[in-house]
Amino acid sequence: MLIFTLRRLNLFIFTIFLLTLLSFSLSFLFPGDQLINISGQVNATPKQLIVLAEQYQTNNNIFQQYFAYISHLFHGDLGISMASQLSISTEIMSFLPATIELTLVALFIAMLFGIPIGFIAAINHRKATDNIILSISMIGYSIPVFWLGLLAILIFSIQLGWLPSAGQLSLLFEIEHVTGIQFIDILLSDSPYKWQAFQDASAHIFLPACVIALAPATIFVRLARTAMMDVLDSQYIRAAKAKGLSFKQIIYHHAIRNAMVHVIRDVGLQFANLVTIAMVTEVIFSWPGIGRWLIESIFQRDHTSIQGGLLVLSSFIFIVHIVIDFIYAALNPLARESRHGT
Amino acid sequence: MARDKIYLEEEFPSPLLQLWHNFKETPVVMIGFSCFIFLTILALFSPLLTPYTSVENHLDFLLLPPAWNDDGNVSFLLGTDNLGRDMLSRLMHGTSLTFGLSFVVVLISLGIGLVIGSLSALTSGIKSSFLNHFLDVILSIPSLLLAIVIVAILGPGLSNTLWAIIIVLIPQFVHITRNAVTQEFRKDYVLASRLDGASSFRILYHSVFPNILEKLISQATLAQSAAILDIAALGFLGLGAQIPMAEWGAMLKNGIDLFYIAPWTVYLPGLAILFAVVATNLVGEGMRHALKVSKEA
Amino acid sequence: MSIFAVKKRSLKAMFLPILCLVSACNVDKDQSLSDHSIVYCSEGSPESFNPQTVTSGTTIDATSNQLYNRLISFRGEDNTIAPSLAKSWHVTRDGKMITFYLRKDVAFHQTDYFTPTRFFNADDVLFSFNRILLPKHPFHQVSGGKYPFFQSVSFSTVVESIEKINDHTIRFKFKYADSSILANIASDFAVILSKEYADTLVLKNIKREIDTLPIGTGPFKLKEYRPGAYIRYATHKKYWDTPSTLEQLVFDITPSNTSRLTKLLAGECDVIAFPIAHKKIKSKPKLQLEAVTSFNVGYLGFNTLKPPFNDVKVRQAVALAVNKQAIIDTVYRSKADIANSLLPKTSWAYDKNTRSQTYDLSQAKKLITEAGFPDGFTMSLWALPVQRAYNPDAVTMAKLIQADLKKIGIKVVIENSLDMGSFLEQLSKGEHQSVLLGWSADHPDPDNFFTPLLSCSSAESGNNRTFWCNEDFDNLIQQALETTNVAQRKQLYSQALAIISTEVPLIPIAHSKRFQARKNIVKGQLLSPFGGIDFSKVSKN
Repeated sequence: MLIFTLRRLNLFIFTIFLLTLLSFSLSFLFPGDQLINISGQVNATPKQLIVLAEQYQTNNNIFQQYFAYISHLFHGDLGISMASQLSISTEIMSFLPATIELTLVALFIAMLFGIPIGFIAAINHRKATDNIILSISMIGYSIPVFWLGLLAILIFSIQLGWLPSAGQLSLLFEIEHVTGIQFIDILLSDSPYKWQAFQDASAHIFLPACVIALAPATIFVRLARTAMMDVLDSQYIRAAKAKGLSFKQIIYHHAIRNAMVHVIRDVGLQFANLVTIAMVTEVIFSWPGIGRWLIESIFQRDHTSIQGGLLVLSSFIFIVHIVIDFIYAALNPLARESRHGT
Repeated sequence: MARDKIYLEEEFPSPLLQLWHNFKETPVVMIGFSCFIFLTILALFSPLLTPYTSVENHLDFLLLPPAWNDDGNVSFLLGTDNLGRDMLSRLMHGTSLTFGLSFVVVLISLGIGLVIGSLSALTSGIKSSFLNHFLDVILSIPSLLLAIVIVAILGPGLSNTLWAIIIVLIPQFVHITRNAVTQEFRKDYVLASRLDGASSFRILYHSVFPNILEKLISQATLAQSAAILDIAALGFLGLGAQIPMAEWGAMLKNGIDLFYIAPWTVYLPGLAILFAVVATNLVGEGMRHALKVSKEA
Repeated sequence: MSIFAVKKRSLKAMFLPILCLVSACNVDKDQSLSDHSIVYCSEGSPESFNPQTVTSGTTIDATSNQLYNRLISFRGEDNTIAPSLAKSWHVTRDGKMITFYLRKDVAFHQTDYFTPTRFFNADDVLFSFNRILLPKHPFHQVSGGKYPFFQSVSFSTVVESIEKINDHTIRFKFKYADSSILANIASDFAVILSKEYADTLVLKNIKREIDTLPIGTGPFKLKEYRPGAYIRYATHKKYWDTPSTLEQLVFDITPSNTSRLTKLLAGECDVIAFPIAHKKIKSKPKLQLEAVTSFNVGYLGFNTLKPPFNDVKVRQAVALAVNKQAIIDTVYRSKADIANSLLPKTSWAYDKNTRSQTYDLSQAKKLITEAGFPDGFTMSLWALPVQRAYNPDAVTMAKLIQADLKKIGIKVVIENSLDMGSFLEQLSKGEHQSVLLGWSADHPDPDNFFTPLLSCSSAESGNNRTFWCNEDFDNLIQQALETTNVAQRKQLYSQALAIISTEVPLIPIAHSKRFQARKNIVKGQLLSPFGGIDFSKVSKN
């Protein structure tokens, strides 16, 4: 396990290095002055610019510039937004938790439904059930998510009136922003309407999370189906069959566990996909998350925010990726021995 | 067809032909394939086929519902939008923008990916390891997010979106080419030609490429469905095709403002995207199935 | 038992209550908090929390009637001037002096950032108006020193001085009589700020907060503002008039038209601004749609300095050839009244006898031939690049006019490539030939339609986009300002309207209505024909 951890750590450092490099080079790639792009100080006086140039070492060679940028990052300084002139790290801190909350709930829903359905399909391989599940899942990942979101609002918010269509929590509730994760904040708050707010927050997250979950869920269906079919094909299942175990016993005691392990391995990769879908969904459901903030920053040509937002978002995806790798390794001792990283 | 040959001759169809034989076995896949062909024809010839141009305003027929509605008009089969533009014509023109361009985009990135992938397969050591890690990192960034960043650098607009998506798609082709070529190079027939004195490039061109082409095509269909969704998503977010282009995603965005007055301006482009993606995915699915069958055979 | 079976079971156990929560939600919430709150989905973020410094309707909506009061205000159907912070007033016979007698028990807001120690008095009035009038005033330059409404009515040239007689009496002295002055003082812009608050800000050296963290006497006080997201107001419990029965008022800032309607239909908003898809709203029994004809006009203006529109016959011909009804049907979707004159029907000075050009192609053709253009000519038409209540879609309107004028041989080239800033700038320089524009009145006094739009003085400043300057007309509107006799003023304005009808410096096209949609459970009046929304009388049952 130690070697596995070291290897992951190595990969993590390499990735973060690449991401910072990418983010650093963005300040050159964006139109306009590099120093202003990297700091966001659009209204700086010439005097302030000199101080900034000193801070970011723009007069020295490119390596020193990069290290100056890295040291700013280590101090939690991502510059200020060119549009609002607010600190980007505080902006991100207020938007990222909402995205984390939404994506994790969506991931949870996707796994909750996708994996069992995949197993069912595999167990009924080459039967009508299997074909129906496969066809539905094909449509599931073919639907453009922005369209699906609109349809979901139309059906569940407007026609049926069950669920709210926008935002994270009804504006009626005053919940103080502590962690940014709405559910935790509600539990921490001393509002007399705590319980109502909690229900309201659940109602708000349900629809967007389901919309985000659909496409990843269909992929989980396929992954789980393949994994289960492989497992059912394997020797030890045949051995179990030969021992006279009932089909139910085989599935519950042997197959599910082993197939799950295989599916978990791919969850990390799917998470990147899920975050992308979440970005678009945030726009449709007016979810106050980092995806919507990033897209607005693009409209405002707020280069500093794009740069910082991208860095934080991809690091977040990568961290989740690695965490899932660890879970996988914890569940599957074989993975720890593998010679190559994923 | 009557057989002239008396002796039973064993035929060895080319890998692609073999693929096609397996491919056409599944009826659903063939439906998808016909839709794909249909879309391709539309994409190529839409300017000749549409009843109106995509930007023509019919001010007397604003927000006309589709023809099957009581208020509809047969000369505007799918209705009109808020500027009196014919939805049918716009959707048809949109085929060449959303579907047609996604095809072109995939073709270009396939080409570039193939070159980089084969080159990297022929190298080894630190360079290769770095590239591998680098690709992993790039692949871990969501494609749409990456495209959004590239659009942020280049500025919004359809052509910039296309460049962005080309760049985004390249890594997966590099990855798959690299793996496939490395795999093939381990095989005996390559060793045989190598012993005959063929250069690496010759082997690549004459022996390896024909054998990995099917894999690439199957990856390309996956990439195309992603490309359609990305072009449409960027159009929808207002970062891609700009007004008055009839790109489906941008049409949908325009339709949102009319959602409650003219719902068809939202339903129709969405259905068009869904249709194109499903057709592409069916073709891809059939391709993968056929590949599997021919491998097992 | 494998680890997964346990995990899955516990996950399910976690998920079930969430499902129940979701379905139970709507039932519970409606019983309590939302009974005492109103969520208003507004169309944008306010620029400032002080209406003195702005003209935008969005800012007026968020501030004037919610946070502040004026000395006097408009009441009732006929917009008569009624007491507000001043319980009575007296105008001298020559109209050059007005004395206001102020209310004594008016409390300012108490908030996290300010606690008042005294009631409202004459110092506050003095402070509020002197901030606008005196360039040397310590607060004049705060927030840029621009007071656009007061500049447009030449407030500082009319007002000679303001005097405090005693703590509850204040006197305005004027250089000359101006019968629209009371209307100006009653307008949404002339709010009363707290001098005591201003003094504490000076001590803390944060003067600019007077416009960002407002203190007023209005029915609501500001609690929280997140730009682009929401404004939260709490009820001002010590409000001098009847305090609101609500606990809180929230402005949910939702710029997208469709999102606003979605929120109304999904029940997330109680009231929404500028609703679209009226049929859809009318089809819902729980919702209601209301409209007031606003004090505005959408018009086609000619640059009367440039040929061929320096010829009155050409202008008349165009006026005859434009099919206004078609424009009302298409561009305004019948949500507007056809404009016969510059003034909307709801104005007291409206004269139904004003003659206006009605659609008549043969007459138009005749006039254009007389003017020497039997084969027509080519003209450029500038279309307003943004949406406004008085003109929701200038480009479509331009296209309709293009089709109309083609029938009398005039070829119209539509210019709509400019952004709003350069559009207005080039208009004031007179670089256009003709333009589609409009005007929203700031208060119900009819003068607000004449002086800013068509007087010679505003032709000089470029605000009169037609550059039309007619001495008779100017004399008439000047005389109307000098008298307070309503009958006499009405008669003078009728004459002025007649001159516009024959001279046609502009073609009035439509008076659009302002719409509002709300849930049936929201009671009380929200809208008046001009100015912002008012939540003080609104309740929920």
